[in-house]
Amino acid sequence: MGILRLSHVEIRVPDLELATAYYSEVVGLIETAREPERVFMKCWDEHQHHSVVLVYAPTHGLNSFGFKVTDAADLDHYARRLQAAGVEVQRLEKGEWGPGHGQAIRFDLPSGHRMELVHGMEQVGNLLPRTNPPPRPMNLTGIAPPRLDHLFLTAEEVDTVTVFLRDILDFRLTEQVMGDDGFQIATWLEVSHTSHDIAVITGSNRGLHHFAFWVDDWNDLRSAADACAYHGVHIETNPTRHGVSRGQCLYFFDPCGNRNEMFTGGYWVDPDAEPITWTEAEMGRALFYYDGVVNQKFLTVHT
Amino acid sequence: MGILRLSHVDVTVTDLDLASAYYTEVIGMVLVERTADSVYLKCWDETDHHSLRLSYAPRVGFDLMSFKVERDDDLSELENAVARYGLPVQRLSQGDSVGQGESIRFETPSGHTMELVHEVRKLGSALPRLNPQPFVYRPGGEGGLPGIAPPRMDHVLVTAEEVGESTQFYTDVLGFRVTEQLLDGHGHQVGTWMERSHSPHDLAVVSGPNGGLHHFAYWLDDWDHVRDAADILAYNGISVDVGPTRHGITRGSTIYFFDPLGTRNEVFTGGYRPDPDFPMITWTEDNAGRAIFYYEGELNDRFMKVHT
Repeated sequence: MGILRLSHVEIRVPDLELATAYYSEVVGLIETAREPERVFMKCWDEHQHHSVVLVYAPTHGLNSFGFKVTDAADLDHYARRLQAAGVEVQRLEKGEWGPGHGQAIRFDLPSGHRMELVHGMEQVGNLLPRTNPPPRPMNLTGIAPPRLDHLFLTAEEVDTVTVFLRDILDFRLTEQVMGDDGFQIATWLEVSHTSHDIAVITGSNRGLHHFAFWVDDWNDLRSAADACAYHGVHIETNPTRHGVSRGQCLYFFDPCGNRNEMFTGGYWVDPDAEPITWTEAEMGRALFYYDGVVNQKFLTVHT
Repeated sequence: MGILRLSHVDVTVTDLDLASAYYTEVIGMVLVERTADSVYLKCWDETDHHSLRLSYAPRVGFDLMSFKVERDDDLSELENAVARYGLPVQRLSQGDSVGQGESIRFETPSGHTMELVHEVRKLGSALPRLNPQPFVYRPGGEGGLPGIAPPRMDHVLVTAEEVGESTQFYTDVLGFRVTEQLLDGHGHQVGTWMERSHSPHDLAVVSGPNGGLHHFAYWLDDWDHVRDAADILAYNGISVDVGPTRHGITRGSTIYFFDPLGTRNEVFTGGYRPDPDFPMITWTEDNAGRAIFYYEGELNDRFMKVHT
């Protein structure tokens, strides 16, 4: 019952061929469907039809993102809640939005981001058999993360989006950076008992700071950095550690300018966990614990 | 809604001082409370009162496994479900057991005492909630934690004569979801791995005597931490059963070892993240070796036969 985890992101790219080549060969995603202006992809350990959808557009950035719900009835439940709060809700039948896609509802966050809740996406299986499977496939290309993990949005009013996610959609706050003026500079929220499924930082409405893939450990982050460097991918931040989430990370850009992250670590969160607070003075360490200073490019570049 | 995760494991030990020394100094748990016959311990990142209770008894054994439920009303719902199945349920009030509020207890078809609890006294983790550092120092040293210092307890594996029947109870009555199963040549379940927390397993059942504990396991963050754990175990002269190695089932990386009184412990990392609609994985008898130990491809007798 309820919202389970991040399902997919729909990313704008001005060069569909180049982006597809990058996400399949460098990131190591698997293409599951192709249309003239859209390419549907998934990570190797995901069972669902797609988790990254590339869409041809004159600009880069985030078109929409979706969270998976446990039961079809959850769609009606949240549609009612959203409508009661005066939010316009669009319904999509199974397959209506694209190949393999499930039944969904779509709406806008107060920050203008287009969000979707989806159920019943086509299950295409991971790359392993269901009988006597080896622990990993041996023929993977590129970084090959097992799954999509979280996304990070920018918004003019972080607290408004945070309240919306908490009160209407039942997300739980795990960490926040508080400005000296008492307003939230950034927030991290979860539904899946991880450190975060979604995060919001002060910036333009409708903006995407990054979306992140899960890798299994710190050793995989080093391999990911090797793969990025080998392929000439622009690495923004070397393997390092977050204060927030305790996770370890690597940031880099796809060839169209969308920021990607490889992420690992973090902690288990009970639903009644008390949120962690970072003060503005410690914001550098909150974001990058080893550097301890606020990186201006990291804060100002988004798509 | 429903069962959230493993809360604590209660085992008996024949030497409380020796066991306490091992669990605090080699494992690196925090001693929370000591009574005349029991010691309560937690891992550093756990906020609840305890995840392990050691009690003195003339023989080593397994008292109970306790799981935490998400909401207060889950207790009465699951109490009714267990009663409907036909098992007597005991309700414990606040103050009946150390560090926790109301709970229910019952004996499962596999002969294990199981507890479900919602309210647990909160002690906080080793880190503050304001500007916390993202790690604890280990091992040892000034301000550091001794021993392996796992952040939390992870899962428990128990033995049962009728794995199929007992699995059905855990799934149909308590809402566990089977992620993987091991079948014998006749298609009967000889091992099942079940989850509530979107991990490969919170509870597993393998063939063996009713009421037995095969092991309980601590979570470690990664394979590097597993290597450190092996170093610490060897340095302290702990009897290692198997590992470091890899499981076929769960894909996890692991070491099995014994506490000084003979209860098997595991350190575990890795795995995957199953959704509730995860298509179950099946292992056949001819692949049982790889299912359990992927690198060795065969089971050792001790692993199969020793339990408490």
